[in-house]
Formats: sequence, C-alpha cells, structure tokens
Amino acid sequence: MTFRLVGLKVLGALATLAFVVVFNFFLFRVVDTDPVASLFRGRNLTAQQKVELRSQFGLDGTKLEQFGRYLQQTANLNFGRSYTSNEPVMKEIASRAWPTIALVGVSTLLSTIFGVLIGIAAAWKRGSATDYTSTGLTMATYAMPDFWLGMLLLTALAVSLGLFPVGGISDPSSDATGLAKLLDQAHHMFLPALTLTVAYLGEYALVMRSSLLETMREDYLTLARAKGLRDVVVRNHHAVPNAILPVVTLIAINFGFVLSGAIAVETIFSWPGLGLLTYDALRGPDLPLLQGLFLVFSASVIFFNLLADLLYVYLDPRVRTG
Amino acid sequence: MSAEPHAVTPLLSVRDLHVTYRSEGGGVPAVRGVSFDLAPGETLGLAGESGCGKSTMAGALLRVLPQGTTVTGEVLLDGEDVLTMKPGRLRAVRWAEASIVFQGALHTLNPVHRIGRQMAEPIEVHSPDVSAKERRRRVEELLEVVGLPARRIDDYPHQLSGGQRQRVLIALALACNPRLLIADEPTTALDVMVQAQVLQLLEDLQKELGLAVIFITHDLSTLSSACRRLAVMYAGRIVEDGPSKEVFREAAHPYTEALSAAFPVIGDMRFRLNPSGLGGDPPDPRSIPAGCSFHPRCPVAEPRCATTIVELWPTGRPTHTAACVRVRGAMQ
Amino acid sequence: MTTIEPTVSARRITWQRRRRALGLGWADYRHSVPGMIGLVVLLLIVAMALAAPILADESQLRAVDSIANPRWATPSEFHPLGTDNLGRSVWAQFVWGARISLLVGLAATLIAIVLGSAVGILAGYSGRALGAVLMRVTEWFLVIPFLPLAIVLAAVLGPSVRNVILVIGITSWPSTARLVRAQVLTLKERLYVERSRALGASSRYLMSRHILPNVSPLILASLTLTVPVAILSETTLSFLGLGDPTRASWGKMLDEAFSSGALSRGAWWYYLPPGLGIMAVVLSFVLIGQALEEILDPRLRERRA
Repeated sequence: MTFRLVGLKVLGALATLAFVVVFNFFLFRVVDTDPVASLFRGRNLTAQQKVELRSQFGLDGTKLEQFGRYLQQTANLNFGRSYTSNEPVMKEIASRAWPTIALVGVSTLLSTIFGVLIGIAAAWKRGSATDYTSTGLTMATYAMPDFWLGMLLLTALAVSLGLFPVGGISDPSSDATGLAKLLDQAHHMFLPALTLTVAYLGEYALVMRSSLLETMREDYLTLARAKGLRDVVVRNHHAVPNAILPVVTLIAINFGFVLSGAIAVETIFSWPGLGLLTYDALRGPDLPLLQGLFLVFSASVIFFNLLADLLYVYLDPRVRTG
Repeated sequence: MSAEPHAVTPLLSVRDLHVTYRSEGGGVPAVRGVSFDLAPGETLGLAGESGCGKSTMAGALLRVLPQGTTVTGEVLLDGEDVLTMKPGRLRAVRWAEASIVFQGALHTLNPVHRIGRQMAEPIEVHSPDVSAKERRRRVEELLEVVGLPARRIDDYPHQLSGGQRQRVLIALALACNPRLLIADEPTTALDVMVQAQVLQLLEDLQKELGLAVIFITHDLSTLSSACRRLAVMYAGRIVEDGPSKEVFREAAHPYTEALSAAFPVIGDMRFRLNPSGLGGDPPDPRSIPAGCSFHPRCPVAEPRCATTIVELWPTGRPTHTAACVRVRGAMQ
Repeated sequence: MTTIEPTVSARRITWQRRRRALGLGWADYRHSVPGMIGLVVLLLIVAMALAAPILADESQLRAVDSIANPRWATPSEFHPLGTDNLGRSVWAQFVWGARISLLVGLAATLIAIVLGSAVGILAGYSGRALGAVLMRVTEWFLVIPFLPLAIVLAAVLGPSVRNVILVIGITSWPSTARLVRAQVLTLKERLYVERSRALGASSRYLMSRHILPNVSPLILASLTLTVPVAILSETTLSFLGLGDPTRASWGKMLDEAFSSGALSRGAWWYYLPPGLGIMAVVLSFVLIGQALEEILDPRLRERRA
C-alpha cells in the first residue's frame, strides 16, 4: 500500500512539473504578445532587425510550432543562450548552482533544527520567561525582511567589527587550496547563512510551539505519565513525534520562500549563486536566463515538496496505513 | 468470599482528599473531602454523574492531574503517601503498584507508535533487565490474556476497533503486575454488546489475579455485578458507600435511588412502572449549595437539609453508610 | 385559533443579532492587550501614511529639488531622518513610502483573499470532479515560487505598482483557497446544510446564507495573516528594482541605501527606518490576527469562560 501511495505522489509531482513547464512557455508568450518589442523597449529597430531577432528567439512560426520547439528544447535542457554572456543558459546555471545549494541547504537545516528546539522549549515551559522571550524574538525575526536583517548583520559584524568578509565567496587575493579554501568559503558563507537561518527559524518555532501546545492536551500524554515515564521522555518520545508533523509540512511550504529569500540575500552579500545570477539577469533583462532560472527554481520547489511529502508519510502511520 | 471490613491492612487508604483545579476565576473544587479504604483484592465501584469528581479522584491517586492542580489530604498506597512521594519514587510506583485503565478513545493511545511498543514501554521502565525479546513475549501474552490475537502487536491504534483498543488498554494496565487497577469509565464509549464482553473480561481478570479494582462509571447497572462494594459520588463527595447489591436495591441516599432508577435493568420488576429521571443539573463546582449539596434536587428534602453539614453516617446495615439526614434520623 | 403576527421581521432579528455579536466581539477584543497594541500601532502608521502631504513636502522626494541639500546628512531639525546620497529627505521617503507598502499590501491581499475564497468555496462545495480539478490547479500555483515568477513578470511587463500588486495577489491566493476549502468541507457535513437542502434551498442560497457567514471569520483571520506576507513580498520586489521606480517605497529605500553604499558609510538613518517601519506594520497585523483567532476559536473561548 505504501508503494502505491509513494508512486501516486511522484506522479503528482511530475504532473506539477509538466504544468510549470507549460506555464513557463506561456508566461513569456501570452503575457506579452511581442516579447521582442518589450525587450527592446526604447531602442529603435528596423523591421529587418525585428524579423531577425524574432527568428533568433524562436518567435517565428505559429504558436504551436513555437510550443513544440520549446518542449523539445526543454527536454534537452536547452534554454538558449544568455544575452549577457552568450553562454548556454544551462551552463551558466550549472556553474552557479553549488553556492546556492550550499547556502540554502545549510540554512534550511539549521533554521529547522533551531526553530523546532526553540518551539519545544517555549511550549513545554508555557507562560515562563523562556516562552515569552523566545516568542517575542521569533515574532520579531519573522516580521523583518530577510535581506534587511542581512544588511544589519553586514554592517555590524563585517563593516564595523570586521569579523567577517563583506562579500563574495572567497578571498580573491589568496590562492589557498583544499581545507584552507573550504574554511575560507565557510567564513564567507557565515553571514549569509546566519541571515537566512535567523530569518526563517521564527516560523518553525511558532508552528512547533502551537502544535506542541495542542498535543500537550492529548490524553495519551497523561497515560504516558501514568506509566511512570520521566517528563523528558514523555515530551521527546510521545509529544514531539506527534507535534512535529505540521512542521514537516511547513518545511515544504517554506522552501519556496527560502529560495526567494536567497535571491535578495545573495545580492546583499555578493554570494555568487543562482540568486545573484537572477538579480544580474534582471538588469538586462536577460530573458532566456530568467526563463531557465524560473524553471530551475520551480523544479527545485516541486522536488523539495515531494521529499517533504514523503517524509510526512514516513512519520505519520495513519497516512501510511489508514 | 466475604471481605471483612478493615481486618486486613488496607491496600489503599484515602483520607480527606481535596482536589482543586486552577482556573481564571479562582480555584474550582472538584473533590471536596473524600475518604475511603480499599482492601487487597477488593472491588469498589464508584458511580456518579459527569462532573461529580470521580475521574478527578482517579487521576489524583497517581498524581497525573494537570499542572497547577492543588491536591491535599492523604493517599496511602501500602502505607506510603503518594501525595508526598518524591518524583523518583512516584514514577516507580506508577503502573507497578497501581495502574489506570483509561477510556479507550482514539487518542488515549499514541497515534504514531505501534501498540506493541506502547505496551512494552512500562515493562522497559520498571523492569530494565528484561530483554527486548522477553518483553515482546510478555506483550504477546498480555494480548492473549485480554482476548486479542498476538499478531496485533505491530498494529497502530487507528487500525483497531473501539472494543479492541479498550482491551489493549486493559492489557497495558496489567503489564507490570499492579496490585490495584483503577478503571476510569472503561466501557462508556462502547456498544452494549462489547460493553458486556469487556466487563466480563475485567471481572475474570480480577478474580484470576486477585487485583483490587476501583471501577469508575456513571452507569450504575454495570457495577452491581462487577463490584462487591459500591460508592456513589455527588458534587465532589461520597454520599453513599456499602455492599453493591444493597446500595443498588435499597439505596439509603435519595440520589443513589434516582441514579439507579435512571439505568434500568431489564428484567428487574422495579423498573417496569416507575418513570425515572431526575430533574435539574449537578451544581456548578464554584457555587455548591450549603448543607447537603443535593438538597435543591432532592425529592424528599427537608428544611434542615440546607443547614446541616452532612457526613457519611451508618445506616444500620453493616458497612453501609450514607450522607443523608434521614439516615441519621432513623438511627436515633 | 388566533394567529400571532410577528412584530419584528426575521431579517431585522438577524441583523440585531449580528450587531450584538459584533459588539461582544469588540468587547472581547479590547481585552486582548497584544491585539490592542497591534491595532493602535497600525492605525498610527496608516494615519502617518495618509497625512504624508502634511508631514513632508512631496518635492523633497525628488533629487532635482534637493540639490541644495547636504548629502548624507545626519538627522537634524531640518531633516528629521537626514538625507541620502542625492540630498533627498529620508523622512519624506519614509512617510511617502509608507503609502506604497500599505497600499500594495492591502490591495494584493484583497485580490488574493477574494480569489482564494471564491476558489475555495467553489472547490469545497462542488462535486468531486470539479472540486478535485480546482484543488489540483491550486496546488500547482502553490508550488510556483513567488519571487522568480515576480521577476519574470516584471521583466516582461515592466516594473510598476500595478504589476507588483498583481504578482503578489496571484501567488498568494492558493493558501487562502486551501484553508477556505477545508472549512467548507466541514461545514458541508453540518446538519443545517442538509436540512436547508431538504427544504429545497438552492446551491447559491446555501453558499451565500450558510457557508459564507461561517467561513467569513476564517477569511478574516487569514487576511490578517496574508497582509504581512504581501508587505514583505512588496519590500523584496522593490528592493530588487521591480517596483515602480518613480514612487518611493520602503523597499526602494533599502535598495537605494544598499546600492549607494549607505552600509559602508554607516548611514543608519537611511536603512534602519524602513526596516523598522516594515517590522512595525507586520507585527501589528500578526498581533491583530492572533487576537482575532483567539476570539473566533470556540475552543479557546470555552477555556476563558
């Protein structure tokens, strides 16, 4: 029964991906019927140039032909060439993917872990100073724009105190290799990662707290206590496994926001990932690159949602067998 | 087997138990001075309407009430006062000396753990030297004792029916061989047929294992055969206490009479003609009537009921007491 | 047999009841300290935004009119929040920028809520096929990450306030739709819906008279939680240069602060106020939302009683 469930979810994810691919196409064509005109707004083009450009962007032929070509190219991961660099879009994206994966991966992990821990502490000691301070702090971080927090950290820790580099992924003047290089990169990643982590752990803490508060009212906790279990055991083995389920859903929902947040945060810290690439592509606008990035972002969110979905199935036996 | 009252050292001795819940408008007294003894192997039924404090009292015996609840008095389990036990001792006593059979609602068991694991848990806590294999064997044994197939051990709670869950809870309560079983409304949510089966199971287990049982319910009729002794609670106090058949048939307290009339027994001639039902509601715990708390609803109330402080007085029949002025009058 | 004439119409009674419920709700709300704080702060900020023309002259927003001003001036009595790299008054930007942030936040939320509620009610109420299809579509839109979409749309459509509102509205409606649909599904099971149907009520009647009033509290609570997200999204979009370049907004202030090097200069008066302003607005909505949730959740109400 589980295999069927998993299979269905994977199929669902693929269907969503298909939708996004189609949506991506229409985004550029239907929204604006003449991309060439809007692209080259303010620049005078001769009719001949317009025809050439249209052919270059694959905008000639009927919509159906364009769509067919688009599908074919997408299947081959061919998104055209970037306007600014003239390199294949996929190559650009691939070369800049790792910094973002590292940044977003580490931040998501840390914000989930710390958010959950804070939420547990706040709920279990409800009404205490721990509860109020943690709730207050998490609400504050939730309310601030993520990149603004980055700006504050940058000014305080990098500019004023000089503890961290002001930007980039590594020290351009050094030619360290191996472990030294890794440490240097980690040093550079500290502030952007800290920004994303703090910006998003608030929500996890709040959700975990309210979920745990609800769970704490359940009868099976009274039973667990009556069995003679220690308080800590009741909390960690009985309450938390039930309370954490909504958090898993939240991770999935949040991932799209974290990715979006990475765009602005990478900009602030000049972190050479996909986010900064997107920001730069905006200046053009470098449409093929943007289109490719949009697809990559959406596909990542779909994939991550699927992972979180499957994790939920694993954690909640009622979904698995019910 | 007749139980000689208090000839043996009582297994459980409750003295002047008061339980007050914390609430925004001040404390809410749920139990207001309950005292009784329970001998080893004795079966005591505790009956009353919802809100009379019987479940609260059950929770107080093992101190599993919500935080902030005030509990005063004495609860002597084998001579030791549960209310003043240190946390470590309390945890050791819980389940191993006395356990609770909760009502088998869906969320009484942890939804994300298999029932085998939940049943093995107290064994692991109280007998840490027992190997995992041995624990599993013991759990399978317990399942069979309550009439469930051993293969259910790896099921999740939502995969069981209500009756099956109740059996699991009973098996769970027996896991550490306690001497006292507190059954808190174990049959309330079940169909009548299943109810009868579960009751029979409890009766058989009690006899086999010589357990002392406190059987809490609002349905008086289930108690008359399962328990030797019956106590009736109203507004946080015990208002009648005596041999169950006697209390049921010849109630000394008007409330008991009304209660038993509300749950007619098929075949019992008394119920054929009498309309049953008692008007009004139990008093709000925050504003309990003076004197006898039952007097506003009592069909035979007298003026002195509002001013006399009632206690459990002997009715003249052995071991049968009732908190009613008419009883005291009859004695005089 | 005498017939009794109703002295008051049924409609009158319903409205009286509703007003009384509202009154009670307000009395309850006033007891919530966080809720009142949130409400007061929000009203202050709205007042400030509305009073922008009085508080700061619009000309102070334009670089061309600020040539005489010192650059990077610290806060003083001439310029309450100092000036930026072009000599423009930061206070003016702050006060006028509040308008955009609030406007976009509210307008986008309105679109999201209306669209989301409509889809949610329809999806919950309709039969299996239509409901399933609608939910599928909703889930698809849920997946699309909002910022990349916004960037693409802005790149193609051109940066403007209208587009920002549109983009945020389009990406926010799915979560409301999901919430509303879940609520409608539970309501459908309720007896009074069945009874009304037995009496011959049409679907439209049911939706407007029974379902909508019962979903409204949920929609209201959802609204107060969607606005913060919308405002934060607008800030990010403006920061990235996707907002209207001719209008001041808090996000744009942060963008300019960043690109003009306010960070390395330590010109805190440029980048601190907008962030704090956003925090204040978002927090006030969160507090209001929480207070509303407490009032509307029947379980919590029981405990207080």
